[in-house]
Amino acid sequence: MSGSIRAALADTVPSEALLPESEVGGWNPGGGPPEVVVAPSSEEEVSLVLARAGQEGWRVLPAGMGRWLKGGGALKVDLVLSTVRLRGMQEYEPADLTFTAFGGTPLRELQAAFLAKGQWLPLDPPGGRGGSLGALVALGLAGPLRQGFGTPRDHVLGLTLVTGDGRILRWGGRVVKNVAGFDLTRLSVGNWRSLGIITSVSARLFPMPAEEVTLVLAAPAAEDLLATARAVALSPLPVSAIELLDPLPGEDEARAGLALRLLGSRAQVEEMETRIRGEWGRVGGSPTLGASAIRRFSGAESREFQQGLEDWEEDAALVLRMSLLPSRLETLLREARQLASLPGGFPPSGRPGPPLAAHVGAGVLRVAIGGLPEGGKPLDEWVRALQGLRERVLRNGGSLTLSVGPEKIMREVGAWGAMGAEGKIVEGLRRQFDPKGTLPPGRFAPRVP
Amino acid sequence: MPDSLPSQVLSELCSAVGPEWIITDRDRLLVYEADAQTAHRSRPRAVVLPRTTEEAASVFGILHRNGIPVVPRGAGTGLSGGALALRGGVVVGTSRMNRILELDPENRRALLQCGVVNSHLSAAAAPFGLYYPPDPSSQTACTIGGNVAENSGGPHCLKYGVTTRYITGLRVVLPDGDLLWLGGQGKDSPALDLVGLFVGSEGCFGLAAEVEVALLPLPEGTRTLLAIFERLEDAGRAVTDIISAGLLPAALEIVDRNTIRAVEASIFAAGYPTDAEAALVVEFDGLERGLDEEAERAGECCAAAGAREVRRARTSEERVALWKGRKKAFGAMGRLAPDLLVQDATVPRTRLPEVLARISEIAGRHRLQVANVFHAGDGNLHPNIVFDRRDPEETRRVEEASKEIMMTCVEAGGTITGEHGVGCDKRKYMPLVFSAVELEALREVKAVFDPQGLCNPGKVLPDPEEAP
Repeated sequence: MSGSIRAALADTVPSEALLPESEVGGWNPGGGPPEVVVAPSSEEEVSLVLARAGQEGWRVLPAGMGRWLKGGGALKVDLVLSTVRLRGMQEYEPADLTFTAFGGTPLRELQAAFLAKGQWLPLDPPGGRGGSLGALVALGLAGPLRQGFGTPRDHVLGLTLVTGDGRILRWGGRVVKNVAGFDLTRLSVGNWRSLGIITSVSARLFPMPAEEVTLVLAAPAAEDLLATARAVALSPLPVSAIELLDPLPGEDEARAGLALRLLGSRAQVEEMETRIRGEWGRVGGSPTLGASAIRRFSGAESREFQQGLEDWEEDAALVLRMSLLPSRLETLLREARQLASLPGGFPPSGRPGPPLAAHVGAGVLRVAIGGLPEGGKPLDEWVRALQGLRERVLRNGGSLTLSVGPEKIMREVGAWGAMGAEGKIVEGLRRQFDPKGTLPPGRFAPRVP
Repeated sequence: MPDSLPSQVLSELCSAVGPEWIITDRDRLLVYEADAQTAHRSRPRAVVLPRTTEEAASVFGILHRNGIPVVPRGAGTGLSGGALALRGGVVVGTSRMNRILELDPENRRALLQCGVVNSHLSAAAAPFGLYYPPDPSSQTACTIGGNVAENSGGPHCLKYGVTTRYITGLRVVLPDGDLLWLGGQGKDSPALDLVGLFVGSEGCFGLAAEVEVALLPLPEGTRTLLAIFERLEDAGRAVTDIISAGLLPAALEIVDRNTIRAVEASIFAAGYPTDAEAALVVEFDGLERGLDEEAERAGECCAAAGAREVRRARTSEERVALWKGRKKAFGAMGRLAPDLLVQDATVPRTRLPEVLARISEIAGRHRLQVANVFHAGDGNLHPNIVFDRRDPEETRRVEEASKEIMMTCVEAGGTITGEHGVGCDKRKYMPLVFSAVELEALREVKAVFDPQGLCNPGKVLPDPEEAP
């Protein structure tokens, strides 16, 4: 069996598309190395590989640069199909504020090209600087900037999807308004590799703001900052990111912080800062907190602070992502605090519970668990606690997903949990796009009994 | 004229919604034979007007069991013949499903029945300092459900985006009458975006009976400019210059000479100079502070591009006056000829000047008068052709010019419809933008929601055997 896929693919794609055996090891973290990693250099080759996989019954994991592959849990696959050789800008017209690039293009490379023209793609997903455009879109990832700019669903104008059975489908285009046909662009954004592999993306860009400031308000605990956070989120101020962090990174003394990213013209940023300082003085900043309760980063310092937040999930053993209506953020904080009583190590922050980060305006709370018990009864306790937590969040109309986690937890709790009645539509769509079941099966698990 | 409904189906429908809410009278059905794109007409077999989501679900179930096609219809303001009942279909009208179920300022969201009128939502949200941004021209009449079906736009989507950006949940009636929640409650789990897929499905996947929308805070301030140009290309260049300067206006709208003349000759006269070739409306909104500076910079861009005059609105009355020539353009064109073909193509913004020149050339060659009104900021063109349907030879020229205009836009990297939808009007042009494999994939996606093909048949997708 060993080597048979490699041999079969040698007839399908040029030999340089097959990564040397010595390099396949790291490509399917947790799920065991694939037999082959294939990196085609054209959409046609991607299509041929997937069609062949369907005939042979191989299971294929679509990938970009290898970032975010742990997301959703480990999978057993025969083949990793990477877009690393399908890269580069296809079209960039700055005056249109749009671009088209191949799926495997590193985000870092794209942002540098936009910056040179005074523009940017305002997305800051966890770990984003190391990923590719196609993977970002496939997972629909967003970070704090979603407050001001939305998620990839709001930015992507069109894309090319090579379906699980190798059909090359182009949806949308590079115009901002487009309602020709059903919106399969939106369906493909955030499909988590369940419908196909994204080989090309068109998206809209924004002018780089003239001025940038991050204000960080600090307090002993996240709960102390909640009122100010909500007041800012409900004000007419166009704040670009409202991130509640507990603990606040880079501090000697452990305390919580509210990081507010202000972008715009100089006048707009000044105005936002003045009003936020006023609000903070009125609601949150009591004299006992002292002058150090507010910190200000501007320009490059602000960008550096914000980039640091992109690494927030890095190295965590388990990341929970909970969402409820934004007015119920306090409920989410309380639920997250309860995890502190479970066995296992948290980083020695001296905080009551694991590190928390909330997108205040969206009602999303992330929890990073640094260490977990190896197994046995203590790990079982975690499984039960997480199941109970998901049930409570679901009952309140929200959701709980696990971005990364150890195999047992991902298996028994599930990254997404049960699907509701929409499961039959999801399954129907997957059958249409991936009739042979070539793509990873563990995404959006159908209804569990 | 299709046969009337079998009596047993009628009686089932009667018990679902009450006999007074079923229209079968031929004269009363006349209202439902077309939408605002009156070139297409087809009288439905009946119209049913449910009040609740559950009633709507029963109606869909009854029709489905009897193999009768069903077409959801909001206010009938659509411009692509999307709400017509073809193939012996029954219209489910949503005019009675017009309640705002929940207004939740704490979470900047609202839950509505689909028949709520677009501008009524913003009016209800205003006391909380909130509004619903998508503002199609028909906003005082069109329904949120219709906006969801068409993924409607409007002049302010340059900055704020189109309908899909604001829809966070849908309670849908599937074609077989099943009820299903998609998204909602601000749900934010990374799963297939079925809400995004349903928005813009033109009534082909079922009825979006209840709609959860996101609201935004009302802007503190607004600045509006009107720039008058001697040449249409100069107005186009001003638009590109404004965007290139890093400014993001809430709206950038152009009307051309033919439109200006039509407006000024009508009761809607807005004081635009009739010897001008183009008028550009530029609007900024947001925090009060900094707005003057933005408006100033945009005014400079217009002047540099050759504007002979830049007017600034200082009061809200002046603002309404500046907008008038743009907002009343369609109404005014009614004066020019009995019929108006409203086009809706989109091109990348930078290709506007050359595409406009091509459109003018096409119209001249076919001896037709085109009046252009467009969302210049997002490249969405509405070249409107005035004609007389009673003249078959002229109608044929309109058809030919129309197709050439669409091909021109597609060749320039654009598409056949930016905000009006495909409906039955543009489905024959779908092969201009999609391959046979892609069209087949679209059909398969429809079949997932509607395996029997009973929900709004004859729309969006060309029949497989139809040649391009």
